[in-house]
Amino acid sequence: MSASLLAQVLANGLLLGGLYAAVAAGFSLVWGVLNVVNMLHGSAIVLGSYAAWFASARFGVNPFLSAIVVGPAIGLLGWAVQRFVIQRVITAPVLITLVLTFALDLILNNGMINAFSADYRKVPPVTGAILTFGPIGLPLDRVLAAVAGVVVTLAVHAYLNNSRLGRAIVAVRMDRETSMLMGVKVEHIYAVTFGLGLALAGIAGCLMAVVFPISPLNSSGYLGIAFVACVLGGLGSIVGAIVGGIVLGVVESFGAIFVGPEYSVTVAAVLLIAMLLLRPQGLLGRAGYE
Amino acid sequence: MLLGGLSATALAPGFAFGQATNEIRIGAPLPLTGPLAPEGRKQKRGYDLWAAQVTKDGGVDVGGRKLPVRIIYSDYQSATPRGVQACEFLVNQEKAHFLFSPFGSGAAKAGSAIAERYKIPMIAPTASSVEVYDQGFKYLFGTFTPNSTLTEPLAKLVTEKAPDVKKVAIFSRNDLLPLSLANEMRKSSAARNLSVVYDEKFAIGTLDFAAALTQMRAAAPDWVFVGGYINDLVQVRSQMRDLGMKPKVLTMIAGPAYEEYIQALKGAAENVSSAAWWHPSVRYEGEDLFRSTANYVEVFKAAYNGDTPDYAEASASSAGAILQLALKKAGTLEGPAVRDALASLNVRTFWGPVHFGATGQIDSLTPPVFQIQEGKAVVLVPDEIKRGEFRFGIA
Repeated sequence: MSASLLAQVLANGLLLGGLYAAVAAGFSLVWGVLNVVNMLHGSAIVLGSYAAWFASARFGVNPFLSAIVVGPAIGLLGWAVQRFVIQRVITAPVLITLVLTFALDLILNNGMINAFSADYRKVPPVTGAILTFGPIGLPLDRVLAAVAGVVVTLAVHAYLNNSRLGRAIVAVRMDRETSMLMGVKVEHIYAVTFGLGLALAGIAGCLMAVVFPISPLNSSGYLGIAFVACVLGGLGSIVGAIVGGIVLGVVESFGAIFVGPEYSVTVAAVLLIAMLLLRPQGLLGRAGYE
Repeated sequence: MLLGGLSATALAPGFAFGQATNEIRIGAPLPLTGPLAPEGRKQKRGYDLWAAQVTKDGGVDVGGRKLPVRIIYSDYQSATPRGVQACEFLVNQEKAHFLFSPFGSGAAKAGSAIAERYKIPMIAPTASSVEVYDQGFKYLFGTFTPNSTLTEPLAKLVTEKAPDVKKVAIFSRNDLLPLSLANEMRKSSAARNLSVVYDEKFAIGTLDFAAALTQMRAAAPDWVFVGGYINDLVQVRSQMRDLGMKPKVLTMIAGPAYEEYIQALKGAAENVSSAAWWHPSVRYEGEDLFRSTANYVEVFKAAYNGDTPDYAEASASSAGAILQLALKKAGTLEGPAVRDALASLNVRTFWGPVHFGATGQIDSLTPPVFQIQEGKAVVLVPDEIKRGEFRFGIA
């Protein structure tokens, strides 16, 4: 196997990983802060993709630009869902919130199937250009989407570490009771965090629409990616989501080459199981936080 | 328990005949949602057109009576196990006299066991793999010829026109029809001393093909053959373009025959070659209610806003037309009698000459080979309906 082939496969994996990071970041944040396994996340990504497709088909706006509006809009929806629905059972065992978000996912997903049908839709190429570095060829659209995914995720990480609200979110994630004693309004933080998580999902949806076809049926696949990337990177860690996403992208990419394309997802699942057995806190997570 | 089950099984069709002799009830399990929804809706359009035409003609002639047709749909959401449940539901709950099979070879094979168990004739309009018909079943009939009838004329055409094509890449969805097509392609390649330099499968639902295509590109094939359904093929073709892959020949089955494929890919669809079991430019005269291919195309266009029918839609309509001819011949709705009429049928229809072989698969059609040229499917083989010459290279 030639070095140029391996380099191309690595590049493919890194680009895929950048997108996966964006898919996983919001999911990880919600799980880490609210202790809610948000089954709605995959469908929220697809909703973002549809919004990007609509903006492109109706107004000719490319998904990178529409993400600026779509992200906050879906984030607002997330804030409302948490504030008025999930908040009612937030102190219940994790299974209850999981079932609730699963039910919300069914409603949203079937609503999208009804509204848009299961047909695949595709946003036209934004640039359509291919970057070449010697033997390696990279579609510029995919490069831009992956870079945007990582940049947005890092921006959220910076916000969490440097803003007052962000520090409050991190504080609730670390110790809910102590945060309350310090005057943090936990209910408010929960709603904002869930909204932020879904805003990230909406942006990820816009970026995925640049590369992949859009269908409500993609939602379970996106949820699976978010789940695996979170476990790999460490729950609640935004940087962990980036690392987990990139590791997953690279492993899937090499898995397709060395084991066969039909088994690339199986390789990722094996990696997930190995990680849960050997390092359940993830690559960047803290022990006891899993 | 077992005895009770057997009794219910044996009685079910009898109840059906007793209850509903004033109409012909046909069960049609379809993937109306899910990844196969585009294909499922095509089948539905074909059935609906046939049923509408029957209504216009006053019904189906059964033993001198004109009976109306009722097609009962059941959406199995592109999940084959649910397709089998749908077949069972349509027979037992909806009391269907006949079944049109679920979509594709895999689901048709699975569903055919239900038809066989209840002695309900099933017509499969979208199942070509011989593995569907080699089960020894007597109640299953298919309107698609075996997959070798697609790959062989393609391989013959390509090697005749381009003797320098030596290396072939085969890439297929891990599903019964695409795997069967891949298998036939291997045989067609071996028979012509073509070297298969890449041969892989992809999982159902795969979105990212970059790694696999990168490896394929490294093998530098002259001819890339991809088997799958329209959504897979659009995505593979898009990502081939992204990676700058330009084989001399690109063949995809079974998506390019659909207008949606050309619309989704625009220029990237140019020069993609394919083969299908039927094409609107074939010219057959028939004894069926549509009378000729030309008339069928006109009726279809009038019913569906000027859309031109593709092979999946036409095959679905032909399933109804063939069943209608068998019912006229049998003169009854009894399953075994209609089954015998189907087995001995030897007629001409708008779909082509219809005769079923010993396994129930049609053996009287010559599928055309075509290529997308200037946004249109142009027939290259057979010579009688040829409309253009093979073009090499892709965008």
